[in-house]
Amino acid sequence: MNTEPVISLIGVTKRIGRTNIIDDLTFDVPQGEIFGFLGPNGAGKTTTIRMIVGLMSITKGQILIKGKNIKTEFEQAIRHVGAIVESPEMYKYLSGYQNLVHYARMVPGVTKDRIDEVVSLVKLENRIHDKVKKYSLGMRQRLGVAQALLHRPSLLILDEPTNGLDPAGIRELRDYLRNLTRTEGITVVVSSHLLSEMELMCDRVAIIQRGKLVNVMPIQHFTQGDDQDQTYLIQAQPSEQALETIKNMDGVRRVNLVEDEKIEVTTDREQIPDILIGLMQNQVRIYGVQLVCQTLEDRFLEITEGGQIG
Amino acid sequence: MVNLVLNENMKIYRRLRTWILIGLMIAFVLFVNIMNWHFDGKSAQGKGWRTELQKEITQWNEVLKQPKLDKQTKKYYQQQIAINEYHLEQNIRSTEGTLWDGVNGSAGMMIVITIFTIIIVGDSVAGEFSSGTIKLLLIRPASRTKILVSKYISLLLFGILLLLTLFVVSVVINGILFGFGHMDLPLIKATAEGQVVESNMLLNLWKTYMLNSVSTVMYVSMAFMISSAFRSSAMAIGLSIVSLFAGNIVMQALQRFDWSKYLLFANTDLTQYLSGLPFQEGMTLSFSITVLIVYFTLFNLISWLIFTRRDVAS
Repeated sequence: MNTEPVISLIGVTKRIGRTNIIDDLTFDVPQGEIFGFLGPNGAGKTTTIRMIVGLMSITKGQILIKGKNIKTEFEQAIRHVGAIVESPEMYKYLSGYQNLVHYARMVPGVTKDRIDEVVSLVKLENRIHDKVKKYSLGMRQRLGVAQALLHRPSLLILDEPTNGLDPAGIRELRDYLRNLTRTEGITVVVSSHLLSEMELMCDRVAIIQRGKLVNVMPIQHFTQGDDQDQTYLIQAQPSEQALETIKNMDGVRRVNLVEDEKIEVTTDREQIPDILIGLMQNQVRIYGVQLVCQTLEDRFLEITEGGQIG
Repeated sequence: MVNLVLNENMKIYRRLRTWILIGLMIAFVLFVNIMNWHFDGKSAQGKGWRTELQKEITQWNEVLKQPKLDKQTKKYYQQQIAINEYHLEQNIRSTEGTLWDGVNGSAGMMIVITIFTIIIVGDSVAGEFSSGTIKLLLIRPASRTKILVSKYISLLLFGILLLLTLFVVSVVINGILFGFGHMDLPLIKATAEGQVVESNMLLNLWKTYMLNSVSTVMYVSMAFMISSAFRSSAMAIGLSIVSLFAGNIVMQALQRFDWSKYLLFANTDLTQYLSGLPFQEGMTLSFSITVLIVYFTLFNLISWLIFTRRDVAS
């Protein structure tokens, strides 16, 4: 198994004028992972992605794709990358097929069979010879995916891929990406501001704000917190007595009554059985205990402090 | 590289716009030649050429009798008379009333080629930016330099296509109007020493084409530079065409300044050395070629620097 990261950013900085749009960004993405890139608008997601694909120059630091430097070994590095940078803009006056031929010619080894294969993969067989200007947004998006996969990239980069897609289209794309990482070992870097989407799609997310990396963590940690700090909802009666009991116990970080009979407790996972035993000993009747998963959105707002634009 | 040029060609010829321009080119050539034949050439067809030449000789002799003629003009008319006399003595008909009259005249329409090529050039780089397709174009294993060069080559090829169209259409239409009978007519011209010689008509035509192409290439490079620097098709097309037309007018105003000979527009027209009347005295063909090479290098260097360095941010 190749353990070398498919892409690594090392101290990447982008300066425009006097401000650092991107400041000292460092992270690796291993093979087969779907890596989410999350941040409020203007945080620098698109700039970072453009530096990765060589559309923008890097002021300081380096970006390696499969060990090749995007700056000094552009052609060898970019060969492994398929990308959709924002909405995929195609040549509208050409047919979908001609667009694919255009991109196929730019990479050695893409055969006619491969083009047909990709076309059927994105289910555009019936309309592929129509001019792109007659396509719906969803069809253009699918053609965009087709051009990105044409040369069997090891790294797929998607900037806001769900923009303009309907819920069915988003679901399709998501399943499709999952499938690609499993069957072909493709690595995906995806940026989005749609938090709920990222939650369903990604293995790991990085949060970026004002050009700085705030946090990188697996999605489970992100939504559940860690074992030492979890929140449970306990339904119990009488609630006043339950509240008093829990307050006096060890290891409880926070406790409050959310509504009648519902108590929210933040504590270690290991403490939960003790709390329940304590409650029962105090004649409190327990109707339910539930782990509260924070949504990505809650965590995101928490981490970015309301998500002001820097 | 070949594939990249194929791509650029596909983007040129799969557009209706391109075919409208080629169609217009054909229509212009047909129109001008039919008009020329209708109003002028018809009368000179057949045996009429001898009397035409004789008439011209008498006319020019009258001109030569004027006392205040400068040396240049005098020499010009003397040469013309010598050429006409050669025609009459050797019984070689003049081009008047043959297809060559129209074909040679059509070479003057090369300015249309320049304009039409500029239109395609102006949109070549800027169009990719305004449509956003540049983003998908530059993330392939082809360096920006290769992409820029392939675009430039495809644009020159388009210019060549228009030139061939001009040549073929003008030969065919004039052949139909005047008959193909005098294809092998030689060109009679006077050398700088005043000697009258025969030369190949077709060769001379292509020499004219090539000399005029120099100016087309210069304007193409200029439009290409503006297109990649400002990313605006309208600006590239507009500025280049304005300078194409305004260039000569401005040059007339600047002729008295010595430094004006270093300007691009003073040198684009290399036919000035064929006629022996350069823009400023003391200018030579090699001077003009040097100036043109400097401008050519400058234009393309700027295009290249801007295109390969710039961030694609929009």
